[in-house]
Amino acid sequence: MSGVFLEGIVKRYGAVEVVHGIDLEIQPQEFVVLVGPSGCGKSTTLRMIAGLEEISDGELRIGERVMNRVAPKDRDVAMVFQNYALYPHLNVADNMAFGLRIRKTPKDEIAKTIEETAKILGLTEYLERRPADLSGGQRQRVAMGRAIVRHPAVFLFDEPLSNLDAKLRTQMRAEIKRLHKRLGVTSVYVTHDQVEAMTLADRIVVMADGNIEQIGTPMELFNNPANTFVAGFIGSPPMNQFEATLEDSDAGPIAHANGTMIQLHGQEALRGSAGRDVIVGIRPEHVMLSAEAGTAEIPISLDLIETLGSEALLHTHVGDVPFVAKVETHGEIGHLQGVSALHVKPERVKLFDKDSGRALGQVA
Amino acid sequence: MRNMNLYSRGDKFFVYATMVLVGVFTISTLYPFIYIAAMSFSSGFAARAGTVVLAPIDLTLAAYERVMSEPAFWNSYRNTFIYTFGGTLTSLLLVIPGAYALSRPNLWGRRFWNLLVAFTMWFNAGMIPIWLNFRDLGLLDSYFGIIIGFALNAFNVILLRNFFESIPDSFQEAARMDGANEFQILWKVFVPLSKPALATITLFCIVARWNGFFWAMVLLTDEGKIPLQVYLRHTIAALSDDEEFSSTLLTAPYSVETVTAAIIVCSVIPVLMIYPFVQKYFNKGIMLGGVKE
Amino acid sequence: MAIVDKESSAGIEKVVPKLTLSQRLDRIYLHLRREWQIYAMLAPLIIWFLMFNYRPMYGLQIAFKDYSVFLGIDGSPWVGFEHFQTLFQSDQFVRAFKNTIIISLLSLFIGFPMPIILALMFNEILNEAYKRTAQTIVYLPHFISSVIIAGIIITAFSPSAGIVNTVLGWFGVEPIYFLTKPEWFRPIFIGTGIWQEAGFQSIVFLAAIAGVNPSLYESAVVDGANRWQMMWKITIPCILPTIIIMLIIRIGNLLEVSFEMIILLYQPATYQTADVINTFIYRQGLIGGQYDVAAAAGLFNAVMAFCLVMSANAIAKRVSKTSLW
Repeated sequence: MSGVFLEGIVKRYGAVEVVHGIDLEIQPQEFVVLVGPSGCGKSTTLRMIAGLEEISDGELRIGERVMNRVAPKDRDVAMVFQNYALYPHLNVADNMAFGLRIRKTPKDEIAKTIEETAKILGLTEYLERRPADLSGGQRQRVAMGRAIVRHPAVFLFDEPLSNLDAKLRTQMRAEIKRLHKRLGVTSVYVTHDQVEAMTLADRIVVMADGNIEQIGTPMELFNNPANTFVAGFIGSPPMNQFEATLEDSDAGPIAHANGTMIQLHGQEALRGSAGRDVIVGIRPEHVMLSAEAGTAEIPISLDLIETLGSEALLHTHVGDVPFVAKVETHGEIGHLQGVSALHVKPERVKLFDKDSGRALGQVA
Repeated sequence: MRNMNLYSRGDKFFVYATMVLVGVFTISTLYPFIYIAAMSFSSGFAARAGTVVLAPIDLTLAAYERVMSEPAFWNSYRNTFIYTFGGTLTSLLLVIPGAYALSRPNLWGRRFWNLLVAFTMWFNAGMIPIWLNFRDLGLLDSYFGIIIGFALNAFNVILLRNFFESIPDSFQEAARMDGANEFQILWKVFVPLSKPALATITLFCIVARWNGFFWAMVLLTDEGKIPLQVYLRHTIAALSDDEEFSSTLLTAPYSVETVTAAIIVCSVIPVLMIYPFVQKYFNKGIMLGGVKE
Repeated sequence: MAIVDKESSAGIEKVVPKLTLSQRLDRIYLHLRREWQIYAMLAPLIIWFLMFNYRPMYGLQIAFKDYSVFLGIDGSPWVGFEHFQTLFQSDQFVRAFKNTIIISLLSLFIGFPMPIILALMFNEILNEAYKRTAQTIVYLPHFISSVIIAGIIITAFSPSAGIVNTVLGWFGVEPIYFLTKPEWFRPIFIGTGIWQEAGFQSIVFLAAIAGVNPSLYESAVVDGANRWQMMWKITIPCILPTIIIMLIIRIGNLLEVSFEMIILLYQPATYQTADVINTFIYRQGLIGGQYDVAAAAGLFNAVMAFCLVMSANAIAKRVSKTSLW
């Protein structure tokens, strides 16, 4: 298993630069997910690692070798495509064997590898079938099988689950995770779905406009987003964000937003920043219905309640900015109707610089 | 699905009127073939008297015996097979790799190469320079000249290129990552994926070759090399001019008309035999030809 | 296809450092080393087009030369536009030019609506077997060679034995030798063209009709429209873009009279109405050996055709917002 190392990777199409010098170190056996909105350069980055796109600038290493000018087939990587790219004229076994045959692998070895891989993926009974006769999930497995049989140093996944329906996607997500545990192959996975990123990744790379916004474990990104973009992208529903001005009070700093005061006990580092314009970020999950010692209170008027079952989403607003809270129902929603204030622990309140969008204060 | 039972009386009348009109057009399309077939099996006397209308009169195979007794007929038949088979094969060998290359985004100067091909659809040098070109290349009176000289046309190249372009990139990329080179990608991935388009082009080629007449007439003066269509033309012209033939006709069991009809039937039969296959594909082919650059 | 999403291609533009010559050569070398195979695949095709399409274009210069077989294309002396002057002063060429225009315009006006009408009628037929049989039959003549079609015409219109004169005889009409009568040539030629191609050309319109959203008809049924109204109010407006595009293509190819058929059907007695530019070129050049004058006529024809096609394409682009090619 090899690591993948990107140093100052740039991609240009003519005069248009779409990836602006990315640095990324992917350790052997790591599962890294590149996530971001469409057009953020994540697919292009993956395709540069695969060798399907030329690297305009910078250096790509897989293991020890510099790969910038190495043909895709010699990079020891395998890729799972969004539309699977299964050859419709070949059956499952031949689809998986395609690459091995091209590489003139001995026949008995091919047969053995296919058999093993089919067993791992539960495809043994389907080896004779054509892709057209398989379900979406089975096709997805064949596409992975085709990558696995090559025993590559790195797996590349290009939005492999986006063609599946929601239920299958959840199921296949778990399967990919299991497979990675079992095979331990370094994996780079591209998706625009932050839930997929959160569930699969050892580390997530959030990208926007051809730049890396933040790299970190799923929990790091969730708890400490580096900027408003990451804050808004990771988590569902996204983090509530609204503008506020910092003020000082006897009890500590206060964020003042359109008449709503939010106490920021404990965030002492902010003392002395009075008058600074900030963006306040509060995760819907961090909102509580009842006050505890030291919690900040946000008075609200309820707009709407969406019931999800064990949880409910309370839609309200701070000033004229929508604000969503995710609270537990304990099986009934009657008590939610009369809610007139929400509470949040001060350390859960994130502050971002209004101009740069970068996170302020607390943990780096 | 539309259902006649739900139609008003006026609509029903409209549909029946349409069916009658279509029937008339269809019969008028079919009738000449029936007429020629009937003619070919009729006696020369009946044909000359103009009594053949629908069915053979005085059923006889005399016209066919006369046609088939000519070695030149069989010779031209053989030539047509050579031109059709050789020509179609050559076309495919040139157009498949060529169209594949033109469809690749990583081909430098792709716009230029495509324009070079497409331009020939809009402008051609014309009959005389083309003929002189064949002469100067030493391809007059040559099997090879006919086979290679008409192997390609821009339409077929663009049709196949468009089909190749419609195949998702990921097939090509997956094969490339699997270690396939361009020839392997073409042969093992694109060709199997393009069967309908290739069948369409093959059938277009076969039909065009089988029916090819003008250039064969102009480029081939050696009677031994002419294809069936040219032989047919010569025979029809000769039969109507030939005084001696006309004078023997009074006693012969065939006439100019029956012999002509018999040759026509002989040369149409192969087309009718592949027609069902053609029909299956040309619908698609026409749509593929919604040529767009 | 390059992966440039709309958003990203609209992204930041930066001044890219100019490559030095050695960097460029390096890129070319790398590209060719990696991609030589596609160039190997392309080469035969390009060579073919150069040999059989572009080489004759080079030979077109004899239209401006006093071509002599012994001096060859390059060696023959230039004469400027002499051959074009000769042509425009020749009654035969002017007649051929007029005939080309008349025959193609007539074929256009009479021949163009036929496939549309046929397609509309096919669309009304609900009996699938009847429809399919009729279609199979009317497509067939397209695949029959012009020699055979001409043979059928010659036989059917023969004065003594032909079915046409036989039928006319039933009504007491004296036999007419149609193919020697100039006034009959155009009707026969144009009729043959329609008979041979109308069915096949209807395929395009049938496909367009098949693409009409069925719910339009359903809502019309609910609104109480009859089939005739639906045809005029729904089908025809919906396939109008196709009709316009096909019309523009036809106009673009106006000068492409199927001269092969004319060569097979005409004779000196009917030249007056039948001789078109291409048959004129054939007789002057390939039979008469006047290569240079004939090449000049061909060049004139090709340039006219090119202009027509280009303007047709430009108009089509505007009309449909998609290019024909």
